[in-house]
Amino acid sequence: MVVRTARWGLSRAAWQRLALALLWLGHGTWVLLGPNPARHWMTFLDLLSRPSQAIAARWEGWRAARRDSGRSLAELRTENARLGTELTQLRTEQAQRAPRLAEADEAVRLLGLKQQIPLELKAARVLFATRPATFGSLILDRGRDLGLEPDQGVLVPEGIVGRLWSVGPTQSKVLPADAPNASVAVMLMRSRATGVLQGLGSGRALIRYVSNQEVVQVGEAVLTSGLDRVFPRGLLAGYVAEVAKGDLELRVVVNLSAPLDRLHAVLVLPPQPPLEVQPPFLAPEPKAQPRKRGAP
Amino acid sequence: MRLAAPSLTRQNLLCAAALGLVALGAPFPALQAVFHAALVLALAPRAGSPLFGALWALAAGWTLEGSLRLYPHLGGTAWADLTLALLAGWMAGRWPLEGLKGWLARLAALSVLHALLVHGAVRVATTAHPWGWGWFWALLSVPAWGWLAWRLLHAGTGPGRR
Repeated sequence: MVVRTARWGLSRAAWQRLALALLWLGHGTWVLLGPNPARHWMTFLDLLSRPSQAIAARWEGWRAARRDSGRSLAELRTENARLGTELTQLRTEQAQRAPRLAEADEAVRLLGLKQQIPLELKAARVLFATRPATFGSLILDRGRDLGLEPDQGVLVPEGIVGRLWSVGPTQSKVLPADAPNASVAVMLMRSRATGVLQGLGSGRALIRYVSNQEVVQVGEAVLTSGLDRVFPRGLLAGYVAEVAKGDLELRVVVNLSAPLDRLHAVLVLPPQPPLEVQPPFLAPEPKAQPRKRGAP
Repeated sequence: MRLAAPSLTRQNLLCAAALGLVALGAPFPALQAVFHAALVLALAPRAGSPLFGALWALAAGWTLEGSLRLYPHLGGTAWADLTLALLAGWMAGRWPLEGLKGWLARLAALSVLHALLVHGAVRVATTAHPWGWGWFWALLSVPAWGWLAWRLLHAGTGPGRR
């Protein structure tokens, strides 16, 4: 039998076997690669190109850094001037908004106080303050148009302010609690001793008619007693600053808690308020009872 | 008694005719599966050289996949056909045919193996897919197309004709 050999010393049968093997392996590989076989090549090429991509990214980053650092001084000055102008504008806007924000905060606090006291309180804005002058007072923007009358109590969330002294058609004047001619019926929180608060000026007042036998501590809270029928019982007036024994009575100096020099809005109590004011009654929500077995 | 091999021309003509039937039988999947199995298992393995048989089997697989729209066209069928054709050719050389019954039994076994391998390869190439009933009809009709292939391949080739 003569065996024909081709180039590279392989016979025809060997070439056929080789072709068959390549055909079978090629098809099998194609089948194993499945759909979208290019993705394997793309993954492989992506893996190969990672070093060059990293080098290119570093090169680009270096160029960007060099470009940024090469900015001219004039550009930086221009930008600095622009930023300074923007900063000034923002500060001006902030300064313009600050009073309105403060008024909004005060209004929110007044609203909270109004919800805590179950009386018909009326809000008014402070137009002007003549407190630095002798017998100075506060001018409110509401008067008889709001139904105000003299001797109505005035308060803010920090404490009492004073009482209405005179009421005009559209404005009214407040006699602050630290005025020399002002008087408020008060009591001390711990000893429950009562007295009359008389103004000393500059946010201070003196409690009169407290017996020498009473024990009063510095820092003790001073509340309204409600006996003057201007303020109901229990509103904060201030805190005891000094205590000294006199001939017949204690000399108790009080720092009023309301910031009388920084008021923008106040609440006005109704005339002749009740002596005792209870906080609003809120019915507790019924607890969910576990359902009994067999109940519908 | 060893049977003589059929002529090369006749085998290739029969393969070409079967391939045409596979292509034309696309509207009838059951018939197409029968033609496909006959080409791959009975005709291609004896088409002259193993390389020719492999090419006929590959053509059968790609024709089947190309004629079915909802079938994955990723060569799974062609690869399975190639493998089975090579296996059948090797079996023909290793265990020569000696009669019609042995031929039919061999075709039935190869049909089962062919169905499993085709669907396995298609699944590997893509994902799960419906098998259909083509394998059943091919297996059921083994006596018919096996006898026909026997008659056509070995007719007039010598003492092996029956």
